[in-house]
Amino acid sequence: MWAKLRWGWDRIVAYLILAAIAAPFLTMYVGFFLRAFGKGMTLGILPKEFGFTNFRFLWEPIAWGLGQTTMWAALGNTLAFAATSGVVVTVICMLAGYALSRIEFRGKNLFLALQLFLHAVPGQVLLIAIFFLLFYIKLLHKIPGVALARASLEIPLGIWMAKGFFDGIPWDVERSAMIDGCTRLQIWYKIFLPLVRPGIAAVFIWGFLFAWHDFIYVYTLLPGTTKLMSTLIQSLLATEVIDYGYLAALSLIYMIPPLSLFVLLQRALLKVPVFGGKGV
Amino acid sequence: MGPSLGLILLFYFVPVVLTLLIAFTDMGRALKWNFIGLDNFARLFGVGGRDPFIVKIITNTLIYVTGSLPLTVVGGLLLSVLSMRMHRGAGLFFRTVFFIPRAIPPVVWGFLWAWSFEGTRYGLFNGIRAALGLPVVHWLIRYPMLIVILANGFLGISLAMLVFSSAIASIPRDFTRAAEVDGASEWQIVRYIIVPLLKWPILTMTAWHLMSFINSYVYIMLITGGGPYYATEVWALYGYHAAFNQYRYGYGASIMTMLVIVNVILLLILIKAFGMRRMLERGKIEV
Repeated sequence: MWAKLRWGWDRIVAYLILAAIAAPFLTMYVGFFLRAFGKGMTLGILPKEFGFTNFRFLWEPIAWGLGQTTMWAALGNTLAFAATSGVVVTVICMLAGYALSRIEFRGKNLFLALQLFLHAVPGQVLLIAIFFLLFYIKLLHKIPGVALARASLEIPLGIWMAKGFFDGIPWDVERSAMIDGCTRLQIWYKIFLPLVRPGIAAVFIWGFLFAWHDFIYVYTLLPGTTKLMSTLIQSLLATEVIDYGYLAALSLIYMIPPLSLFVLLQRALLKVPVFGGKGV
Repeated sequence: MGPSLGLILLFYFVPVVLTLLIAFTDMGRALKWNFIGLDNFARLFGVGGRDPFIVKIITNTLIYVTGSLPLTVVGGLLLSVLSMRMHRGAGLFFRTVFFIPRAIPPVVWGFLWAWSFEGTRYGLFNGIRAALGLPVVHWLIRYPMLIVILANGFLGISLAMLVFSSAIASIPRDFTRAAEVDGASEWQIVRYIIVPLLKWPILTMTAWHLMSFINSYVYIMLITGGGPYYATEVWALYGYHAAFNQYRYGYGASIMTMLVIVNVILLLILIKAFGMRRMLERGKIEV
């Protein structure tokens, strides 16, 4: 299909249509970077000069309304939240994924149904009840509690991913270990864990990334004084005078950790299904 | 298995039941369980004291869903067909551009739209307009629903495009090549070979995004906050605002309960129509 592409009229029209649709988005993305690194704007999107004044939150406290925090505190909170969620998702999905892949039991189809159900009645719709639930088990307004609630959203799909990785390991490996006298638990951490290391990385990033990007859970279930990066950006966006350059720079810093994680572990992630999970 | 089921049970099935229970109370700021029977639902359906906003909210939700769903499916189809039928590098470039919305955090996507369509010359597009000597347009006040539909639609497009593209990639070459040999034009190949083979991915994506859009409110909250004056307030967002802005948890829960009921009915219809297993198989084509 690709080898002998001609430049016919139909192809030129295809390029024109795609370029026309992409143009506003490219303007947005390029404008975003120019705004983050620019000082004073001319002609709408072109900065007069480049500099790092928009990144002054790196050494100055950030004020919104009557409150005040630092970028580093927000970054630390985000990291704690995302790491907790990532660890919970990884541990639970790896154990459950193994069970689902190796042990025959009834209710396997339950997980298929669960995935659909989770999409049909997503966490954002159940937020009121989750608010009360955390309140009653005394975990409301606490980062670990909210991270636990957030992690549960990624578990059905995470288990599916983990199962896929375990499915890829041949039965023979396990059988020979069993013949040599390993127990099931020994097999799990001596044989499987080293083999599914890319799987572990992928599931961890899955849980970590969605928690890092999360807005509605932390906005609703954590107090206004505990700022994460997402809620910090939102509260600055909700003030009277908005400094867009400052916000663009802050957003850039917010996006760097997940992107670098992505690049670092790219090879492991190539096997990850990218289906859904994000609300829209 | 144990811990995972426990966690799903705790944060999934308990909340569903809890939502149903709270819906029958007039739970307010004091968090007291005071059961009032069907009063919340009566209010929703206009029996007794009617909620003055409900008609507006339902209209908004219908406009929002009927706007963003076709945009997502048709847009995703258009972008994937065009980008898969051109030079590989260029196609990959365009797919990356349209996948970015899904790769960045929701808050940043919301920020990009709020900033681009800001009503003063400090906004991106108004800045460009001002540079060209055109007057500024108050986009978010004049076309709030259009902007909300576009922002959510292009988020849906990013997923739909990916699924359709991988389905197109798995169509055997012989099919298109045979058509080319027979002298089919590019348009005929797309119309009579590619689109018919994408029947299942298209149905799956339509069902998936139908449920997504009915339930989604986070991006609307970030971009317009439901305003100006309820212009973009959809059903789910109204429930959220009732609970967490006005502290009427009971009323908010009853609004969300209606959503859960609609979702479950939709899900049952979809399972009945497609079969569960088929709905979960992603991007497969049937040859």
